[in-house]
Amino acid sequence: MDNISDSHDDLHVHIPWYQQRLLWLVSGSVTIAFCLVLVAMALYASSGSAQLDISRPGYKSVQDKVDSTTFESFPATGDVDKKAIDDFLELYDKQTKRVNSTDAFSDSALTDAALGIAAP
Amino acid sequence: MKSIVSSFVVFVAFVAFAMIAPVHAQGSGMTDAHIASIKTNCPLALGTLGRIHVNDAPQFINSNQTYFSIGDKLMAHLNSRLTLNKYDASMLVKTASDFNDALSNYRSVYKSYEEMMSQLVRIDCQRAPVTFYDNVAAAREQRAEVHTAVVRLHELLKQYREDVKTFSAENLEATNG
Repeated sequence: MDNISDSHDDLHVHIPWYQQRLLWLVSGSVTIAFCLVLVAMALYASSGSAQLDISRPGYKSVQDKVDSTTFESFPATGDVDKKAIDDFLELYDKQTKRVNSTDAFSDSALTDAALGIAAP
Repeated sequence: MKSIVSSFVVFVAFVAFAMIAPVHAQGSGMTDAHIASIKTNCPLALGTLGRIHVNDAPQFINSNQTYFSIGDKLMAHLNSRLTLNKYDASMLVKTASDFNDALSNYRSVYKSYEEMMSQLVRIDCQRAPVTFYDNVAAAREQRAEVHTAVVRLHELLKQYREDVKTFSAENLEATNG
């Protein structure tokens, strides 16, 4: 009986932590995943995607203000005559009206007086 | 050798001063009363800035999408159609190209402005009123740049429309008449 117990102890070899392959596999995977997340976040910030992301915290109240209507395009093929140009101009005027109606990013919103921080 | 080193030190000091001086130029002329007034009113100002920042996002997203679609689905398609029909559309192609460049500039200046606003709304204005005030001035300048970019886009939209009418007058109405 003692012989059997001794043989089990012999099989249980102690491996130092730095030689355990599972540990290296897990830590390596976590490190690679972390690096990929850093790359993804850098791309997200530098590409301008962050400015188009309305799902960021604090933007929930304006999510319904994003226009989801489809944009009608002008056919890229076909004859060119007076009617085609008139159709184009009609469509062009209709679509440009969507951006022409606003005085976008007027700097009057950020004046000292508007923010209440003007010199007394 | 000594004179070269001293010239170099003077040059580095001058460059460092030139870089730092504009940052503090705005705040340096502030009176104590003004600083006290900013400390009192800045929580309200931060609330206003936060609302402006949040409301700018859908305005940029909608306009950016519309400008892009105008360039991609109207201008590019008409230019392509004219070229396929063997017309000289070089004037329209040039304006469309300028429009695309202006759109890239709009995105770029808005990105800088948006980053500045994100930084601004996080400033503890009661602890750092001068920094807050300087950043408001910087954000105002960047917002003005965004506005200028929008104005340029609108000019090009008008220009393209005029170009189409000129093309029509020169190539279609002349032949029809």
